[in-house]
Amino acid sequence: MALELLKERWSNAVNTVTIGATKEEGGTRTSIVKAGGETCLPFMLNEGGMPHKPVLAMEIFDIAPQDWPDILKEPFKDVYEDPAKWAKRCVDEHKAELLCLRLQGTHSDFGNRSADETAKVVKSVLDAVGVPLIILGTGDEEKDNIVLAKTSEVAKGERCLLGDATEKNYKTLTASCLADGHNIIGESPIDINIAKQVNILISDMGLGSERIVINPTIGALGYGMEYAYSIMERARLAALNGDKMLSMPFICFIGQEAWRAKEAKGPESEHREWGPESKRGPMWEFITAVSMLQAGADILIMRHPKALEETRKYINNLLGA
Amino acid sequence: MDKFKLTFKPDDKQIKVKKGENLLHAAVQAGIYIHSSCGGDGVCGRCKVIIKDGDFRTEPTGRISKGEKEKGYVLACLTSIQGNLTVEIPPESRLDLEEIPEEEAKFLRLKGLFTPPEEVELAKPHLRENVFEHSPLATKLYLKLPRPDFDDKVSDLERLYREIRKGRKISIMQTGLVNIKRLGSLLRESGWKITATLGKRNETTEVVIVEPGDTSKKNYGVAFDIGTTTITSQLVDLNSKKILGTKATYNKQAAFGDDVITRIIFAAEGGGLERLHHAVIDTMNSMIKDFVSEHKLNLNDINGVTCAGNTTMTHLLLRVNPVHIRREPYISTANFVPVIRAAEAGVKVSPRGLLYCVPGVSTYVGGDITAGVLACGINETDKLTLLVDVGTNGEIVAGNKEWMVSCSASAGPAFEGSGLSCGMRAQKGAIQVVDMDSDLNVKLETIGGLKPRGICGSGYVDLLARLFKNGIIARDGKISAKVRSPRIRKAGGKYEFVVVFKKDADADRDIVITEEDIENLKRSKGAVYSAIATLFKKIGLEPKELKKAYIAGGFGTSLNIENAITIGLLPDLDRKIYKFVGNTAIVGAHQILLSYEAMKKAEEAAKKITYIELSAESKYMDEYVSSLFFPHTDSTRFPSVNVK
Repeated sequence: MALELLKERWSNAVNTVTIGATKEEGGTRTSIVKAGGETCLPFMLNEGGMPHKPVLAMEIFDIAPQDWPDILKEPFKDVYEDPAKWAKRCVDEHKAELLCLRLQGTHSDFGNRSADETAKVVKSVLDAVGVPLIILGTGDEEKDNIVLAKTSEVAKGERCLLGDATEKNYKTLTASCLADGHNIIGESPIDINIAKQVNILISDMGLGSERIVINPTIGALGYGMEYAYSIMERARLAALNGDKMLSMPFICFIGQEAWRAKEAKGPESEHREWGPESKRGPMWEFITAVSMLQAGADILIMRHPKALEETRKYINNLLGA
Repeated sequence: MDKFKLTFKPDDKQIKVKKGENLLHAAVQAGIYIHSSCGGDGVCGRCKVIIKDGDFRTEPTGRISKGEKEKGYVLACLTSIQGNLTVEIPPESRLDLEEIPEEEAKFLRLKGLFTPPEEVELAKPHLRENVFEHSPLATKLYLKLPRPDFDDKVSDLERLYREIRKGRKISIMQTGLVNIKRLGSLLRESGWKITATLGKRNETTEVVIVEPGDTSKKNYGVAFDIGTTTITSQLVDLNSKKILGTKATYNKQAAFGDDVITRIIFAAEGGGLERLHHAVIDTMNSMIKDFVSEHKLNLNDINGVTCAGNTTMTHLLLRVNPVHIRREPYISTANFVPVIRAAEAGVKVSPRGLLYCVPGVSTYVGGDITAGVLACGINETDKLTLLVDVGTNGEIVAGNKEWMVSCSASAGPAFEGSGLSCGMRAQKGAIQVVDMDSDLNVKLETIGGLKPRGICGSGYVDLLARLFKNGIIARDGKISAKVRSPRIRKAGGKYEFVVVFKKDADADRDIVITEEDIENLKRSKGAVYSAIATLFKKIGLEPKELKKAYIAGGFGTSLNIENAITIGLLPDLDRKIYKFVGNTAIVGAHQILLSYEAMKKAEEAAKKITYIELSAESKYMDEYVSSLFFPHTDSTRFPSVNVK
């Protein structure tokens, strides 16, 4: 008798979030991405399906990156002064299907750029590329509420993904997303309950749960990745078992976390036994990405082109594409 | 050593102090109590005073604004005295330790478990009196001893014992040398007619004191509930079992910190333990003194005292250092303390009167809970029963006569009305019932039917439930800006809801509930609910298996169970199993004062209760965070609340 593997049966699917709107849909994007939709645990394809591949987005800033190590700046050193050129490089050369624009320059420590000035930058990036956009504030609540509201207006109809809404500050951003037709990122500090609470609060304001993405906040390899892993796993199990308020796709800021690690960015001159950072850095980001994919990440925000490329290969291998 | 003159305004109180003395400590010495939630660490910023004149040294603090600094404000706890000094105590810094009038106490805090308040007022005995055999902590016997002669030559003491034992089963008896020394002459001078006061000290019966003549009618005791925030007492006639009077007052230890942890820290400072001990003893002694004078008794007629308090309060009462309670693995010095002489602890009653502290279960589940278990009869029922005592520490006991488990969660004093913008304890003028229709018309009921002065715990439970049901607050407790009403407004960047406008209130401003208040209440209710949920998970039962649930605490004179479930304070169970029981600690203390059998049962119960340390439960934090929502993050746990 042939061995029959035991299969889990799940009652619910992860929501599918659509980012970007083409001309027909009232936007100007030439492509759109869909994230989520799983009916099984990550890559357990004999138990269900993953209708949409995990999406890889590249992260760009509205100002020249301040704290990036040279190894990370290298591929963009001729374009990072101009967000539009930077965006184009990511799409044209590195085949990014989605871009994540962080409005770092609006922070008082990094130039305190006004909402109107920032709106121009956002517009220039939208004009430069056809892929959909994720647009992030800096976490300064007061400033974000001004800047993101304006950004949302400028990008009206483009069905961007705006973030982050938190437990303490979700109302303004949710209202903007409702008014201008965007999706929203709900952030929680590695806490499944707060993740769910933020989702309930946002959807109680009338924004459909299929327009919410969970940012569970993660740690890089060696920096508490396992906490993020277990929270994501628990949330995903709850979602597949029918919890509608946890059934949103995950967004994970892989590059941001991985490149904080000294093991990723520490120069070889200081750590000879670690080997060249040109390999080590991208590898650190890649391993973090792979781990988060196994935890259920749907949208991965990457920084180094090499890490992006390897992660893409990995996904294609697993999904047989 | 230099001595300086320290003057407090507006009281005009003066004391002499040493150079370098801390201003906060000096104020307590002068009998002036100042708010000090953090116990003098310079953290809470509540001990603001104004330096009018003189030499001092103060440490810089972020708690004093620039404007205040210019006006001479300092934090008393960070200020030392360097010369003659005049200090003004602003009203907001003053800790109001006024006594709660007896009539108020009667129909409020002392609403006993099985006795309606009006019966307490009429000093009717408790219904459960017959459950326990009447054998008070101190019994007085009027005895006529047969005179000795050549046929009956036993010693005076043997003669006394023989007479006491007649018709009574008493195996071991003892008496102190003090009594023996006086016995010979006392018996002869009194014509062999004496009154012996007997005390139960575990298995031994002690002849506490021997008095000439018949004083057996005058036998009284006092039962105390020593709460972290409030101390409640009852004067009891040990013969008739009648409650003659009731009193409640603030625990003066509040001047050294709001919660047990800050007080334990304070106790570890030089002289701190002494100060805390005296604060509680002074409060108890002044209550006893007032009872004696009001009822025209003699201090010598008070022969027994029982105290039910949490473990820290019991330690401080007995002047036992509580320092280890705070440190891992959280060990108390003693949970069981035998019957001792009240004078040893500094409690002023009859010089040889007895003091019994109701035994605790563990470091964080004290004698007040054992007393509650006794009062509710959990230790004697077959049915699965729950007792929730919502105080500064929320304690929970579940079980029946076979087994009991307990846990304790730090709930904060919000439901006692403390730490909220318009909160007050359940006393006259407190809003205790709130109803509201969809047009936000508010209907209120205050304690005593007076004009509202503030809101007490039961009022807050109603208010939160009504605000939530009417969509004024979202599930995280934030007030919705969408609803247009003169009652909803923004103050200091945050929203608040006006419950009573100033013109209708007995207050100098509108009575409001702010988003910050809601946040505080949410944490309190979350702590209590998550403790219940964690306890049940731990024992592998579902709350729905409960047959009876008693809710105790200083909410008010009543508690709307429906509303308590709506806000997620209590599990969503059949409303019929719930019973609000007010203060169960004092009821248990009272029962033990009147019955040795009750004392033994309490000791058995305390030994039987298994304590579960929530801080060691990995699931507790998770439960807690998911409870910080109305009614709960998992709305399937509250099916009858109907959240969309």
